[in-house]
Amino acid sequence: MARLHLQLQPYVPSEADPFDRVKASHLLSRAGFGGTDAEIDRVLSLGPTKAVDELLDFPDTSAKDQDPKDQPDLSAIEDLPKSMKALRQMFRGMSEEERKLAFQRAIVANVRALTECGRWWMHRMATGDYPLQEKLTLFWHGHFATSAKDERSAFLMFKQNELLRQYAAGDFFQFVKSISRDPAMLDYLNNTQNHKRKPNENYARELMELFTLGIGNYSETDIKEAARAFTGWTHDGEDFSFDNDDHDTGTKRFFGKQGTFDGDDVITLICKHPACQEFIAGKLYRFFVSDQLDSAVQNNLGQVFWDAKYKLRPLLRTMLTSRIFYAPATIGAQIKSPVQLVIGTVRKLNLTMPQTGVLAGALNQMGQVPFFPPNVKGWPGGRAWINTSTLFVRQNTAVFLAGGSAPGTGRRFMDRLISAGLDTRFQPKGGASSDKLVDEWVARLMGRPIDSDKRRVLIDSLAGQPSRPENVKNMIQLIVAMPEYQLC
Amino acid sequence: MPLPITTRREFLHKGLALVAAGASVPAFLQQTVFAIDNPLDQALTQKPGGKDDRILVVVQLAGGNDGLSTVIPFGDDLYYRNRPALGMPARDLLKIDNYLGVPKEFVRLKSLFDDRRMSIIQGVGYPNPNRSHFRSMDIWHSAIPDRENVANGWLGRYFDCTCTGIDPHVGVSIGETLPLAMKGDRVTPLSFEKSENYRYNGADRARYEKLSTGTNVVPDIEVEAPATQPIKPPVMLGRSRNPRARTPVEPINPQTQLDFLTRTATDARVSSDTIANLIGKYQPAGEYPGGEFGEGLRTIAAMIAGGLSTRVYYVSLGGFDTHAGQANRHAQLMDQFARGIQAFTTDLKKQENSDRVLVMAFSEFGRRVTQNASGGTDHGAAGPMFLFGPEMKTSVIGQHPSLANLDQGDLKYAVDFRNVYASILQNWMDTPSRPILGEQFKVFPFLKT
Repeated sequence: MARLHLQLQPYVPSEADPFDRVKASHLLSRAGFGGTDAEIDRVLSLGPTKAVDELLDFPDTSAKDQDPKDQPDLSAIEDLPKSMKALRQMFRGMSEEERKLAFQRAIVANVRALTECGRWWMHRMATGDYPLQEKLTLFWHGHFATSAKDERSAFLMFKQNELLRQYAAGDFFQFVKSISRDPAMLDYLNNTQNHKRKPNENYARELMELFTLGIGNYSETDIKEAARAFTGWTHDGEDFSFDNDDHDTGTKRFFGKQGTFDGDDVITLICKHPACQEFIAGKLYRFFVSDQLDSAVQNNLGQVFWDAKYKLRPLLRTMLTSRIFYAPATIGAQIKSPVQLVIGTVRKLNLTMPQTGVLAGALNQMGQVPFFPPNVKGWPGGRAWINTSTLFVRQNTAVFLAGGSAPGTGRRFMDRLISAGLDTRFQPKGGASSDKLVDEWVARLMGRPIDSDKRRVLIDSLAGQPSRPENVKNMIQLIVAMPEYQLC
Repeated sequence: MPLPITTRREFLHKGLALVAAGASVPAFLQQTVFAIDNPLDQALTQKPGGKDDRILVVVQLAGGNDGLSTVIPFGDDLYYRNRPALGMPARDLLKIDNYLGVPKEFVRLKSLFDDRRMSIIQGVGYPNPNRSHFRSMDIWHSAIPDRENVANGWLGRYFDCTCTGIDPHVGVSIGETLPLAMKGDRVTPLSFEKSENYRYNGADRARYEKLSTGTNVVPDIEVEAPATQPIKPPVMLGRSRNPRARTPVEPINPQTQLDFLTRTATDARVSSDTIANLIGKYQPAGEYPGGEFGEGLRTIAAMIAGGLSTRVYYVSLGGFDTHAGQANRHAQLMDQFARGIQAFTTDLKKQENSDRVLVMAFSEFGRRVTQNASGGTDHGAAGPMFLFGPEMKTSVIGQHPSLANLDQGDLKYAVDFRNVYASILQNWMDTPSRPILGEQFKVFPFLKT
């Protein structure tokens, strides 16, 4: 068992450095999408170790296995054929005209189903029992990236989403073998076009470059040979299928070894490569802890991952209970992803998820739409989320959620909603003391103290009337428009 | 402006080259000096900014514009035989010569055409044409047809190559999201859909500003921290050695992140106020059509009139994917296009900016020669591009692609679009095209002077 680097050793609460509300809030922001007051209370009572145990305590199963009733409504695509073969059969006997119409209808139906999947997933992030599982699913979606822009089938995109959920904190080695058999992934990275007589290297390349090892840890020959090993790995529209006749059974040379390797053999060799443990551990660290990663810490984390035989939970536990996780340089130093910004605000304001329509445009402008990573590299994150354009959208969206006007619409849109009795916007309660009210909302929304001058500005905004809901709403909108609110 | 050499290491690295060159590098040296590390810590090409620099406006015709309905070979019998219903009668067209015509909606562009301020480039495409909207559009944007997942675009690389700072105003895109074409590795230009939305729309503005922008924050709008590294040609292939494309220069902690956000918020405020002011004050001379395209062009005209340092503007006109009911739809689009360009060029003329603005219009592919069974056409390959602006050498560049000698039913391309990009980069934007496009594409002189 490796000795833990000083920074990775567990944070132990002390009088000088207690486990306070700031730390509890921080844990829920990183290991989820942000905590409500009650959830923060619970974490405080559990303490840093038990809280992480509880956060990690979820079944490594799909949403369907957890609750068959909790699934997106895919009725739009129910009657549609799932595989290309079934589609071609349906097309047989149709005129060109009919075929085109049928194709159009299939596209429209899938778009509708995908929108519903996005809505369902965001809802699960906001209200589900296992926020860390959903946060991890989002991480893996950006890691094993597949975009619905190319993989038009909502059925397959959702199937992949359930796979990511199942393996989110599970066995990484099994995860790689499973994702390499996932139909949406096989489509997206063209492995369905990887044939014995005409290999396609795309999957082999991205598997090594982006999914497991990183550039510089394999040669072009390794890619060519690995591609041969994955020939015949395809699907029938619903499930993985192995086309024996299309599989190259010859000897391959990979990482200096020789054998009649198939895909699983290649994956095994990849996972045994020392670069793999550090690559994955590093990526998880950057997502959950900090963009700043010391190579000694990364090396140590890789060792932890290896010692745990590539089980993800021990690695996650080490990171989420470590001293560096609770260091002052870490808390409040991460720029929220657009999804984090939206879901966190919804949770902390105790809102019902608003209409996806209004949010879809905003998420698109902010640069993150679930099921649509921009490319196979996923979402780079960090400062890449922020430029002058996206910053306005982020602020305006947060203000909208806190009861302001809808982004991109004028006052008239909201006035119409109000007069039609459809105004279900955020309506906070007033309070007796301006100071106390500001402190309460800053604690709730930021989870960290703010500059005293800024605190004063917020207090002044209540204009001595903290009982007026309109004043309180205005004050809260100011909080979520602050640059500090972009961080967690 | 050349930045002084401040460290001994810098001098050793660059001193010799500096001695050889001077503070301003003669054009004939540009190619060679650019090939090695830039010793001057500045763009060897024109610095962006200032009133007198040239501007490029890119108009994207999204969906696949039917080139055969835009530059019509009415003199070819095959045109009518392939399009019994969609073929446009010669009498309805504006004739360019005995073979080619343009739709009657282009009458608004006649004066531009007669003044040789409009040029049609025929048969533009690329090898192994891709007929997927997304893929083909990505190809036109990245200008790297044989690589997928390129993270930047040709204009983004132009910004990276020629800008020392990270001032986002170098480019402005009107639309919901920033197109790939405009994405650089270092520079991210502005993008907004409506100028009214490029601003904070919460209620308590005064307090918002106190809370978000801070009084002692200096905006990045001019030049940010001087680059101590020479400007390297941008990463072409969309794959960087570092999995994180952006290496942080400073440590990441709550304070540095907050400073970064505050600086960006300040930049955003300054930029939003400036643009709102320019647009608010502007009185257009032309009558723009309604809709996003017209409004987008009007916004651009206002920003040009206002003297913004922007070099490249980007705007889209969508709806060209005419698989069915093409005749009316395409005519409407031609009308919108012509009205927009007419209004825009009229405005530029009044501003006396006609000679410094070049408009380039393109589409991700043309459409098939044969009409389909739904009164429309399906995705094709080669199509025309359009240039508007300063006086051109000729009104029609190249031949119309053969209607007989096809590539799987589609028009064959004669001009690789990267030749057009290279020509614009070198002859108009005055910058070497090779670092931006990855290789040297043949440049054709399209400008009169």
